[in-house]
Amino acid sequence: MAGDGEIRKNEMKPDSKLASKIEGKDFIVTAEYVPPAGTSAAAVEAGAVYLRDGLTAVNAADNVNGIAMSSLAASLALMKAGVEPVYQLVTRDRNRIALESDLLGAASLGIKNVLCLTGYHQSLMGCPESANVFDIDSIQLIAAVKKMNEGSLIDGRKIDGGFSMLIGAVANPSLKPLDLNMIRLRKKIAAGASFIQTQAVFDVEAFKLWLEAARKEGLTERAAILAGVWPLTGADEAKLLAKNYTDIDIPAGVIARLEKAGDAEAQKKEGLAICAETVKKLKGLPGLRGIHIISPANEAAVPQVMAALK
Amino acid sequence: MIVAERKTIPEIVDILKGHKNILVLGCGTCVTVCLAGGEREVSIMASALRIASRAQNLGFKVSELTIERQCDNIFIEQAAEAIEKADAVLSLGCGAGVQAIAERFAKKPVYAGLNTKFLGILEERGTWTEKCAQCGECVLAEYGGICPVTRCAKHLLNGPCGGSREDRCEVNPDRACAWQLIYKRLKDIGQLDRLEKISAPKKWGTSLSGGPRVIVREDHRI
Repeated sequence: MAGDGEIRKNEMKPDSKLASKIEGKDFIVTAEYVPPAGTSAAAVEAGAVYLRDGLTAVNAADNVNGIAMSSLAASLALMKAGVEPVYQLVTRDRNRIALESDLLGAASLGIKNVLCLTGYHQSLMGCPESANVFDIDSIQLIAAVKKMNEGSLIDGRKIDGGFSMLIGAVANPSLKPLDLNMIRLRKKIAAGASFIQTQAVFDVEAFKLWLEAARKEGLTERAAILAGVWPLTGADEAKLLAKNYTDIDIPAGVIARLEKAGDAEAQKKEGLAICAETVKKLKGLPGLRGIHIISPANEAAVPQVMAALK
Repeated sequence: MIVAERKTIPEIVDILKGHKNILVLGCGTCVTVCLAGGEREVSIMASALRIASRAQNLGFKVSELTIERQCDNIFIEQAAEAIEKADAVLSLGCGAGVQAIAERFAKKPVYAGLNTKFLGILEERGTWTEKCAQCGECVLAEYGGICPVTRCAKHLLNGPCGGSREDRCEVNPDRACAWQLIYKRLKDIGQLDRLEKISAPKKWGTSLSGGPRVIVREDHRI
């Protein structure tokens, strides 16, 4: 079926490491990096130290929990530090003009992967008084990047010089009803997403239902599904996430287990242990192509999560 | 209807300080129905201003009048004499009414006593909800008669965001997720296939993004 992650004749083939991994059969590991609310590229490089070995690519988050260094600059800093970036782009803050302008700039700097998201509402990321944009939604952004890969901008003008970007999208397996969830996933893949990173999985049994539904529809063949995993740093973090974000589903049992673990250090260890167990359960699930490690401001945990894959 | 809410009394008193003869001007249409700027509210506002004037020694002389529609010159004329006599007008009309009065009386200070909120309906007694963002190109046919431009906090046109949980919006759990409503409604009327289509980016040029809008009906011009 045309339009769903397949490369059309007149479309430039993305040549990122992530793109070639998706073409292959290997288990893929990506992670998310949240840029600092500051100016230091050295800070990004310091985080990148933990994000090199065994990872195919690392997302540079786009103002996910407050104003931060732009994901474009952070992507460049990651690249300089030897990490292949996935440039995250939310439609909350930029209209189609700014989005495509930034994408052209990103391509000119050598960025080859983009993750298209709508983004949290501004009231969830600490700027409730800000106006939002939402000129286009994530699916329309995916379609727009696909059109750029075919050589045209959203206004119909031709792109001068080449443009090639591997397109990714996100999914929340816990979004109900499942039927509606699948409509959304189908549309993202039909619009041009080649890979899907999911929200963090804490309940593997529930995730399996979602993955199985996607597999039955053939969606796991058309896009690489990477399951999100989150090494929680403790019960406080878990409670905060559960309270503030409706897209993050943390079962009460996980929170209870963290609390029972003891002091802060013991809870952090337990969070890692829970994450490692999740990774082990996820690995080998039919239709799953890899994992995506989400550990904001806790990059050091990434190699520890990856140890569970060995 | 247009739904508005009264500004606070201290805020209004502050705006009016320095004026003596004040006309509180109500509007008999939308703001009467939403209990913000009709005859009854004009009377309450006038009393509040008199009390404030006495307490703070401001010397306000407050008069009251309510006309049928502040957004229509024919009705504005009925208030012309009272407006001319006043030093300032406190309009309890919507934003359109305030501006219509100000345009007609170029040398008269006209102030807004309301915050104009939205285009909506009376959901239940004492509760008004927004239904239309006046985008200028109605998409209701596509979404089972439920507007995602207005009722989804992110104006999403292709399905819910990941934050929709238990039919509630990620921004505020008191708010229904518009996309859950759209999904249910399209299912109920047998039009769920509409959701499979990828909706193209909206042309916002018909909205306020294109600048203030004008409709000219040649067949109605004299």
